[in-house]
Amino acid sequence: MSLRDLLSPFYVWQRAFEKPYTTKRPTLDRPGAPAYRGFHINITETCVGCGSCHTICQNHAIDMVAVDEYVGRDGDSGLRPRFDYGRCCWCGLCVDICTAGSLRMSNEYAWISEDPGDFHFTAGIDDKPWQENALGYRRAEGYHLYPPKRITMPMLPVEESVNTFDEVVRGYDKEQAKKEADRCVECGICVATCPAHMDVPDYIHSIRDGDYEKGLQLMYRTNPFPATCGRICTRRCESVCPVGILGEPVAIRWLKRFIVDQVDKKDYPRILNEPIGESDFKVAIIGAGPGGLSAAYYLRQQGHAVTVYESRASAGGMLRYGVPSYRLPDVELDKDIEHILAIGVDIKYDTEIGRDISFETLLEDNDAIFMSTGLSVPSSMRIHGEDHPRVLSGLQVLADVASGRDPGIGKKIAVIGGGNVAMDAARVSRRLGADVTLLYRRRISDMPADDEEIDESQAEGVVIVQQAIPVEVLDADGTERVCIKWGEAKMVDDPKGGRPRPVLQEDRMHTETYDCIISAIGQSSDLGYLSSEVQDQLAIEWGRFKPVEYQHTMMEKVFVGGDFANRTADAISAIEDGHHAARGINRFLNPDAFIKAEMQDE
Amino acid sequence: MNTIDEILDYAIDQEQQAADFYEEVAKNAETASMKKILLDFSEEEKHHKKILQAVKTGEHELTPQQEILDLKIADYLVEVEVSKNISYQDALIIAMKRERAAYELYTDIAARVPEGHLREVLDGLAREEEKHKLFFETEYDERILTDN
Repeated sequence: MSLRDLLSPFYVWQRAFEKPYTTKRPTLDRPGAPAYRGFHINITETCVGCGSCHTICQNHAIDMVAVDEYVGRDGDSGLRPRFDYGRCCWCGLCVDICTAGSLRMSNEYAWISEDPGDFHFTAGIDDKPWQENALGYRRAEGYHLYPPKRITMPMLPVEESVNTFDEVVRGYDKEQAKKEADRCVECGICVATCPAHMDVPDYIHSIRDGDYEKGLQLMYRTNPFPATCGRICTRRCESVCPVGILGEPVAIRWLKRFIVDQVDKKDYPRILNEPIGESDFKVAIIGAGPGGLSAAYYLRQQGHAVTVYESRASAGGMLRYGVPSYRLPDVELDKDIEHILAIGVDIKYDTEIGRDISFETLLEDNDAIFMSTGLSVPSSMRIHGEDHPRVLSGLQVLADVASGRDPGIGKKIAVIGGGNVAMDAARVSRRLGADVTLLYRRRISDMPADDEEIDESQAEGVVIVQQAIPVEVLDADGTERVCIKWGEAKMVDDPKGGRPRPVLQEDRMHTETYDCIISAIGQSSDLGYLSSEVQDQLAIEWGRFKPVEYQHTMMEKVFVGGDFANRTADAISAIEDGHHAARGINRFLNPDAFIKAEMQDE
Repeated sequence: MNTIDEILDYAIDQEQQAADFYEEVAKNAETASMKKILLDFSEEEKHHKKILQAVKTGEHELTPQQEILDLKIADYLVEVEVSKNISYQDALIIAMKRERAAYELYTDIAARVPEGHLREVLDGLAREEEKHKLFFETEYDERILTDN
């Protein structure tokens, strides 16, 4: 060993008092660049927990976790992203995809901790100083990883649609459907909100794959009316679609329709090929509307002998007799119904319970009954002169047109109401050549009718007079005409916090003469086929059934569903009621098999 | 009917009569659900009676100046008959029209008496009836006029 080697440790000591070349900790006085991709910020109030950030992250650095501050509800999973900074590569894709625009990055980059566990953090929930940081990476305005606007649906031009009962919506072609399907982030927020919990992300994915048969199979798992719902569903799924927060929601309804449109009806048995179980039980269903037929479809698969009793000449209920063909052509409704019947569901048309067969007989002859007779009685306005022969009900006008009868409305008519029946009656009347004025007590924004229906009715020339309260029907010259007296309303705030209420202004009254007045202010149930004793046993409240678990009523064998048992009164809720009741009936008839099947599903 | 106590006794009696009326209609109603609704109406009237009894003993004060929202629904609906199979819509119409009649009665009498405590009591009673009418009219607006 040389002398130099021997002395070398002492040379090091020479350096001990010099300025060091490294720093003990990062300098905190050097801020990140203004658009630096630093630690994440999440505006948790805006975030809907869609998980797009989690899905897109190539490093699996984001988990969606439950947090105490939020609970799941329609349009919000209640989950929030949790970041693992051991994995994050700061690429910013999570910010770029964020559907709500709630995720961003601060320009903060220094975080010192001796505990590695600290670097898993839930942005916006765990208290961090950079949450309020105004600088850092933001998605550039107008920049989206998916197109914010939906693919425009081809429609019949208004000048054509107003003269025909042909379907207004023409449907996507393959290229359009694929482009629209590509906008879906597959988050599944819609699944929770859809009353039937349809597997929306997966059937939309089947469009991307071009595998329409798989798409059809997925839809039939929870909904045997896809052709119908693909046209007239109230699409609550779209109202919560996160893509709609910064753009337009994915056209889920039209994509569902697209899948059905691609599959020929004759191929349904091969594609769906439902296994039919074995059973000795008999189940009767009252009403061949969407609720009744949905129950029939799922009950039949268990092998039960299912008979549907329908008072009219055709099946479909309000879908056939209430929804006009320009929205839902008969051939499309029949595509759904014929497949349900094809798996062995028996149906007895023109058979009215209470007239042709008593409810009690049905109860005795069957092991279970599902009732879904809807809201078939038009509500009365209860104003003077309402029994005038030129006052028609909206339901009757729609049923006449659906059955090929002339409702005899004339050329200048008034429709009263703001729901879907009123809109359908108004648009049907336009197609029959009438000038249509629609009177509504509240504002257009308060109308329960679908927004699209309101817009399309106006485009077709329906004149909507809002805040118009009908107060009296009067005779006009001649028996073929009628007058309506109505007053202007002012909207007044409800002192108890409810929605604003219309108040008649007696000094602003109008009287107008029409060829007829179509009243469409609401519907109620016709329970005339049930004796008062049975009604009491069923525990009906406010004219509606109040089922307990699995659509079961207080009567041992009786299950209910559809418009007269739920508050939403739309086809998809009735379909789900039917499906749910089918499970309830299976549980009731064969509890052991039900529990086994449920465990297998899980 | 000159003293305030006499007027309050009359009003209390009217509330009891209304309660009895709904109980009678309930007895004849065909279904249990309608019976329950009518008995709820009867209970509501008994509640009004208790309020007026509290006014008489000085435990509660009327509010003659209070402005109550008038939806005017009862004004233009037809009179309906009481029947065994009465609907909820008709039960509400009967109820709101009864409250309206009571409101008009107290308002009319108030206009005929000189200003002072007696008129204030009558105005206060009118306000009470107006409140009851609003309750039934709001229910009608909410549950019956769903699409209108």
